[in-house]
Amino acid sequence: MTSMRLYRKEGNTIQILSFPHENTEKGDYLQIEDTRQPNRALIVQVIDVQFANVPGIIEELLRDTANNEDSAHLNGHDFDPLEVASHIAYIQDSRTLICKIRASLEKGKISTGGTWLPSRSQSTIKQLPTASLINLIKINHTLPINLGETKDSATFNIDATSLDGRLNIVTGKKGTGKSHLSKLLALGLIQHGAPVIVLDLNGEYANLGYGGDGKKNEYNSKVHVLTPSVNFKVTLAQMKLRVMLNILLNALNLPGTSAREFRRIWQFLDEHASLTLHELGEAIRNWRCNQHVKDALFSRYYSLVNSGFFTDNPSEATSLEECFHLMRNGGALVVNLQDTSLVDRQIVVEYILGKLVDLLTQQKVRAVFLFAEEAHLYLRETYWDDIVTRMRHFGVFTTFITNQPDTIRENIYRQADNIFLFNFTNEHDLETVSRAAKVDAETVKSIAFDLPAQSCLLLGNAVRDFPIVAKVRSLNVQTMGQTRLFFSPKPNA
Amino acid sequence: MIQQPQYSGATSKYNFPPPTLNDTTLPQRFIELSLRSIKNIHNNADSALYQPYETQTEETLNPTEEITPAFTGQTTLKPHTIQLKPQPNPQPVIAIDVSSIKIGETQTGILLALRAATVWKQNGSGYRYLRLGPFPFHITEENKQEIYSLFNQYSRNQQEHGPLTNTPSNTPSLINMQTRMTTLLERWIQTQIAAQSQNSLILLDGSLTAGTNDTPISLLSQLLETAHRKHNTILAFTKTTRLRLNGINITDLIEKTPPPSLLQIGGYPTTPYTHIRYLGSIYIAKLGSNPHGCAFRLDIDNNTPTPQAIEAVEHLIANDLVTDGYPETLRLAHIYSTFTANEVIGIQRFLAQTYRIRIVQRPNIRRLLFGPYGKGPES
Repeated sequence: MTSMRLYRKEGNTIQILSFPHENTEKGDYLQIEDTRQPNRALIVQVIDVQFANVPGIIEELLRDTANNEDSAHLNGHDFDPLEVASHIAYIQDSRTLICKIRASLEKGKISTGGTWLPSRSQSTIKQLPTASLINLIKINHTLPINLGETKDSATFNIDATSLDGRLNIVTGKKGTGKSHLSKLLALGLIQHGAPVIVLDLNGEYANLGYGGDGKKNEYNSKVHVLTPSVNFKVTLAQMKLRVMLNILLNALNLPGTSAREFRRIWQFLDEHASLTLHELGEAIRNWRCNQHVKDALFSRYYSLVNSGFFTDNPSEATSLEECFHLMRNGGALVVNLQDTSLVDRQIVVEYILGKLVDLLTQQKVRAVFLFAEEAHLYLRETYWDDIVTRMRHFGVFTTFITNQPDTIRENIYRQADNIFLFNFTNEHDLETVSRAAKVDAETVKSIAFDLPAQSCLLLGNAVRDFPIVAKVRSLNVQTMGQTRLFFSPKPNA
Repeated sequence: MIQQPQYSGATSKYNFPPPTLNDTTLPQRFIELSLRSIKNIHNNADSALYQPYETQTEETLNPTEEITPAFTGQTTLKPHTIQLKPQPNPQPVIAIDVSSIKIGETQTGILLALRAATVWKQNGSGYRYLRLGPFPFHITEENKQEIYSLFNQYSRNQQEHGPLTNTPSNTPSLINMQTRMTTLLERWIQTQIAAQSQNSLILLDGSLTAGTNDTPISLLSQLLETAHRKHNTILAFTKTTRLRLNGINITDLIEKTPPPSLLQIGGYPTTPYTHIRYLGSIYIAKLGSNPHGCAFRLDIDNNTPTPQAIEAVEHLIANDLVTDGYPETLRLAHIYSTFTANEVIGIQRFLAQTYRIRIVQRPNIRRLLFGPYGKGPES
């Protein structure tokens, strides 16, 4: 039993008086019980820990400012045989816990909202271990993905189904463990037989199939790395005109008039079953049209050729259908965009997303989990809404990973089902993330500000809208994508 | 070790009183008495401590006692202004202050806490302090005589004066016990300091008025004698004075005099109360550098010749900081002894944790009866 006392309530904020020995931290859950109503309780979460507004504290602190041996101006000693000073210090260190009401509990049944307020004088307050909370809120564990442990060192799993059909955001400042968690999520999904596509901007996921010691791990046969223009090439025949037009218009900025001409050329080649890169070049050369249009088409044509992503050799071409077939029992398709230029990246992503929609509409693929790291660097503006609305219904369930939360639009945050929030110290970043509809802004700002590295605040569906702080576990996969350093120690040093 | 070079013996870190004191029996008995008085509540079946409605501060509860003197033939008196020159010779300055506060009430008595602070400065070094306490006491009708006797006994020089015989009739009422205990503890510490130090300036809070219930003439005389014997000078500062000369508040008489200065009244102070004796010459001191700074009543031992008294004040302003006309050592002694509201809560917690004394809020009858109009004098 703790000696915490209910102090005040304002809106859904509750203040609790706590004492130094109670060791309650931000993110912890507390259960407030009214001794007169034993079947009822209030579940609150600590979002901030402040010093209690103890009367006379300023006077004491000012008085004790110079009360140390090092002070040349003023020092001295206390003769306190009854040791009352320790009790005074105890009061000085008392804290106010700022808590948010998360739910009420009635006869073991949890419900959000409610107007019940326990007695201030008769209530007892105790810590609610995260494991007990998880049991109370009945987080499903039929398809568990182990993320690590809770603050109170209990194993922490989320259920794979909580990511199914959902929009997720993993965000936090650099070096806090976003990519690490994303890898855990991706491998967890693979383990449960789900297909995953990773748009890997920094080549961090390329070695997911290898352990820390460099040997193949259990996921090796399930991780397929595609590097554009190396082992990932496509023929024009594999593409639909719509996808190609999207590439030309969005990635290569082809004007509308030229696009109309291109459409005619494409249809001509398609009718003559000669949709190859070579024939496309010839057709543009021989096509009767305005010279400016021809020049525009040629410049885009050479961009396509120079990307190295297109081939006329069908044996060199990669079939996404085949890739999905390989992943029928779960697997990851890692598209390594590390050494790909911005334009080529956009070409590749336009192709992949277009192809995905085709496969999903044709029911060739049931659904796919897409992990998009720093998506603003390759995703065109119109795709954001498309991904969270239209493509989601086709079965593309996206997880955005970013350290720049303002690159994701506010409406995306509002529609996000799960947010895995790592530390942010910048107020602007916190302000952006706090717009997520899954939790109040105060909780986000206060808890995320103090999160240690490798700890994240989970918000949303995966935790039944009960924000939980988790320490992300380590992962035995080969680390890639580390920044190359000038002053790094030499291998033989 | 605390630096006290001018003391007859060094004061070690935790020593109440320092080991060289002649009489060391008080502290031990003092602590024992404090503990025994509290255990007394604990043994009581209903060990509840009633929280006071408001935490009264030392200033409101225990104003410096001043029995206002009158000056014989005052209409013809011409106060004499003395311009002061700081004397650079190093001289230790020692200040003593004691505070008390009511912690709560019990069914049988009152709970109070005492704390003393001595602050000293010398040879251009920083300020040093020794804080004693807090000592909680549970005063009841049963134990008040024992407590008062102990305080009284050790505040007097037994060898010279013999212990004061306390009878139930001269033991103060419960209400006055707090003030009496505070003054007696203060006088006891002052006497000990006066006996242990030499060639020092000893600053007291209050006046050198004797013959009151808590400051018998013998007690104050003994203090002054002890100080004199050790070549110490006692300077007693009264923060607020009601003393008037020809209808004018005495501190206003020095208003136009540039500081640092003293105003010597010259006349002999008298009082209609025959048992009251003024053992100090009364001066008005304006010690700070600010011409519009505060002035205070300053009492200096009658037996100290005027030139020596002036010299003592000149040493004080050279050896101590003077802020707003008040010596820093005395200001610090007050600050270190006084209780804050948080400390009261801390002491209540000590009683609750150590002696299982329940703290309960007693209903405020005035508020209960009169609502918002029932604030009464306490607010």
